[in-house]
Amino acid sequence: MNGVSFSASIDKRKGITLDPRTKLLLLLTVTTLMLSTSNEGLMTFVKPCLSLVPFLLILSERRVKTAGKYLLLYAVCFLLERIALTTLSGLLSFTVLALTSIMTRFAPGIMTGAWLISSTTVSEFIGAMERMHITEKIIIPLSVIFRFFPTISEEYQAIRDAMKMRGIRFGGKNLLLMVEYRLVPLMVSVVKIGDELSAAALTRGMGAPIKRTNLCRIGFRFQDGVVLLFCSVCVGLFLCQQFMML
Amino acid sequence: MSNKLQPKDLINLGLFTVLYFVIGCCVAIPVGFVPIFLPVLGALWSLVTGIPFMLFLTRVKKFGMVTIMGFLSGLLMGLTGMGFWGVPMGVIFGFLGDLILKSGGYKSAKKSLIGYAVFSLWMMGTYIPMYFMVEDSWANFAASFGEEYADKVMAAMPMWSMALVTGGIFVFAILGGLLGKAILKKHFAKTGIV
Repeated sequence: MNGVSFSASIDKRKGITLDPRTKLLLLLTVTTLMLSTSNEGLMTFVKPCLSLVPFLLILSERRVKTAGKYLLLYAVCFLLERIALTTLSGLLSFTVLALTSIMTRFAPGIMTGAWLISSTTVSEFIGAMERMHITEKIIIPLSVIFRFFPTISEEYQAIRDAMKMRGIRFGGKNLLLMVEYRLVPLMVSVVKIGDELSAAALTRGMGAPIKRTNLCRIGFRFQDGVVLLFCSVCVGLFLCQQFMML
Repeated sequence: MSNKLQPKDLINLGLFTVLYFVIGCCVAIPVGFVPIFLPVLGALWSLVTGIPFMLFLTRVKKFGMVTIMGFLSGLLMGLTGMGFWGVPMGVIFGFLGDLILKSGGYKSAKKSLIGYAVFSLWMMGTYIPMYFMVEDSWANFAASFGEEYADKVMAAMPMWSMALVTGGIFVFAILGGLLGKAILKKHFAKTGIV
């Protein structure tokens, strides 16, 4: 999950090409189902299946190392979680559970989200959102948000390095001052980036009175159908489970 | 100057939503591990995010920006697994915040503090499951952090504490707003960013 892998381009694309709308649905399915309460019955099969989704997606981009790391980490945490839930108790159980459940519940969603950002260009994203007839007032901030998460972490790392060189670190004497020394530069750079981005967007015709066009091929293909089927099966099984509990 | 939201406004809106969310999460995630602190999480969140929000307000001159920010923050909350109650709450309190700010012409210092405090109440959205779907969220906590954690959380949050949580968010939001204003004055006024 380093900064480099976040830049998506159309021509050098590896792996499965999915419609951005399919990707969004996939992300929504993975996050909501992985974070749902039920852990018994059918969901014991559905959840591992869902957690394999980001693994397959990243593997299809031939980023074997990242995919392998994710799978290994997930498998270890999954096993530890099972052990902690069944045999351990008390503070130890809480510590292990807190650490592993963050991994098992959030990691699939985060990885799918990171994949969505790294495999979708802003043009594609905007194009797909326009097809869904979402208003521009939501599209523009949303696409900025998707693009900006990696940027903010890069900026923060740069600021942290600079502060380290000056000997300002956490755990120092004045906690409030530490926070201030990091937050203020970050906010200044956000403001600067905002001005630059809006200048760039204006030159690309954003906000012009006519309808924007783009070169991206957006549409549902065969692979989208497969993913949609997978999502609906997972959601269907989840709903079945909920009704059975009632 | 037209009153419609321009792309420049919308881009700034996106940037500040990320900043607001990331800074909030930096505080909320480590604190959230301790069950006793869960009720004060919202207050702490609004205290810290007062700093970026006050800077954001210097860019807000048009109606609707705070509403959209509330909606998007709720959406991000939902996508990162805190439940989708934040979306309607974000829209409602964002809209109310917008109304208050507009009544001050987006300039009044007093109105901007109150507007921010009202906007911050959208955080109640993340508490809704804990108060109104007790069984569900107990199971949720038990599944992810063990039954003892779940018991502790639920014990820390009886029904009457909801008023305290709401009040806490409001008061700390005002303090956060004051903090934000102080930092703005100290750093940004000189450099001409504000």
